Amino acid sequence: MTSVPLVSVFSADDSTKVTAKHIPLPAVFQTPIRPDIVSFVHTNIAKNRRQAHAVNPQAGMQHSAESWGTGRAVARIPRVSGSGTHRSGQAAFGNQCRKGRMSLPIKVWRRWHRRVNIKQKRHAAATAVAATGIVPLVLARGHRISQVPQIPLVVEDKIESYEKTTDALNFLKRFGAFEDVQKVVSTKVVRAGISKQRGKKYRVRKGPLVVYFNENAKLLKAFRNVPGVEVVNVTRLNLLQLAPGGQLGRFVIWTQSAFAHLDKLFGTYRYASVLKDGYQLLRPLLTNPDLARIINSNQVQEKVQPAKTTKVLHEVQKKNPLKNTKAMDRLNPYAKKQRAAATAAIKANTKGTKKIKKNKALKKASRAAFNKVSAALNDATKAAVQEEQDIKVKYFSVQKGAAQAE
Amino acid sequence: MSQQVLWEVVKGNNAFLVKRNGLTLSTDPFNNTGVQTYSSTGFISKNAVGVAPTSGKVNQINNINLVAKKSTKFQQADRKAKNTQSVYASTLAVKHGVHTASRVIRKRFGTSRLGLQKAALRKLVKLNRANSVRRRNEIAAAKAQKK
Repeated sequence: MTSVPLVSVFSADDSTKVTAKHIPLPAVFQTPIRPDIVSFVHTNIAKNRRQAHAVNPQAGMQHSAESWGTGRAVARIPRVSGSGTHRSGQAAFGNQCRKGRMSLPIKVWRRWHRRVNIKQKRHAAATAVAATGIVPLVLARGHRISQVPQIPLVVEDKIESYEKTTDALNFLKRFGAFEDVQKVVSTKVVRAGISKQRGKKYRVRKGPLVVYFNENAKLLKAFRNVPGVEVVNVTRLNLLQLAPGGQLGRFVIWTQSAFAHLDKLFGTYRYASVLKDGYQLLRPLLTNPDLARIINSNQVQEKVQPAKTTKVLHEVQKKNPLKNTKAMDRLNPYAKKQRAAATAAIKANTKGTKKIKKNKALKKASRAAFNKVSAALNDATKAAVQEEQDIKVKYFSVQKGAAQAE
Repeated sequence: MSQQVLWEVVKGNNAFLVKRNGLTLSTDPFNNTGVQTYSSTGFISKNAVGVAPTSGKVNQINNINLVAKKSTKFQQADRKAKNTQSVYASTLAVKHGVHTASRVIRKRFGTSRLGLQKAALRKLVKLNRANSVRRRNEIAAAKAQKK
């Protein structure tokens, strides 16, 4: 990027007023976005707040249980010694047993914490900061920023001296950040699971993150009670806050001095960082990642061959040219003419040829003969049917007469 | 920020992603198809128009808002859209009918992205139809009540 993007600093009292119009964006915001680094660092750093816990080492083992061995028609698992109680003779010690010890009982010396290379941690933080300046990423993380005047949102240092929560709330409302706070409030939910009983009753979303610089700032107390809002000093930026859950794009509100401090913290592409000894910002693999633009650029299109049209080698279904005239014409363009000539010849010859006349005469004769025979057959069947009917009539009338006589 | 890079970050998980019944859908306001795909996900692209219904009174001709993604190409137009302005979008209420709204959409996309254009126009037409039906019913109900 040859031109450095510029950012305005807003007045704390009036979101429409701008106190400093064009401040160059700190170089951190142009670090390549590396979700892979952030995800790796986050999964490891998130383990560092864990407190050691373990199962009682004696749990399930406080018996003098012994296996009965073979020959007793029972499984060979150790069984509780003694008598006089239900418990005697019951299986013990195994992870599969009721009241037995768990398999691989948790020890306090489990490796709870993970160390991550400093460089990786710094790259992750830089990427996370860069992502807070990209609107689609903040939207994708789920922050409600439709009323926010600018991302990244930089405000004058006046907010660092806020002491009252009302001031803090009004400030958030003025800058359209209150919508995010409302989201936090309305989506506060009782947690599913046992953690309820262990002091984690509610699941609360993350709202805006306010980043300040001066150590004596009082705004921590002002913003403390606003649900969802977190406050942090620039020098102590935390990946767990910048990319909660490993998801890039927290909505961050910077104070002017905090924003200005970022260049010293992370350095620029020309100078290494002052405060992080020897740290140099990550360089991108591609300076221009916009593939569409590259492909459509003049420089590329000039060198590129014209687009090939898809060649259709053959039909998907084979048509038989002996039956399908169109298929035949495609193979042999002269076939059409041949066919036309043939039909013309037939038409011309139908009247004249002897053979055709003979065939016609034969056909006529055979048809006549057939009609004669069928006519004769018809008459014969008619006569037979009539005879049948006469006999019937005679028979039944005789019957009738006989019945009448009786 | 390049759309490709943003897609790699956002495709796995984002606030608009809804996975249901084996479908990968999106509630992205700039997505007119409803399905989450690289090209239809408008909030990561440089230029997009979302067509959204609004809850409005019966007398409003359409109850549709055009939510246009702010881009450097259309800075003047975005500034002129007096309705709700935000960091990333300018909202235009559709007041003068579907034809003028469709012109806005066509102008935004120009000759490129015909698929996205068509999706936006399709949604515009469908919403308009739904709204006219609703309006008809409400007017009829109001008349019936008067009697």
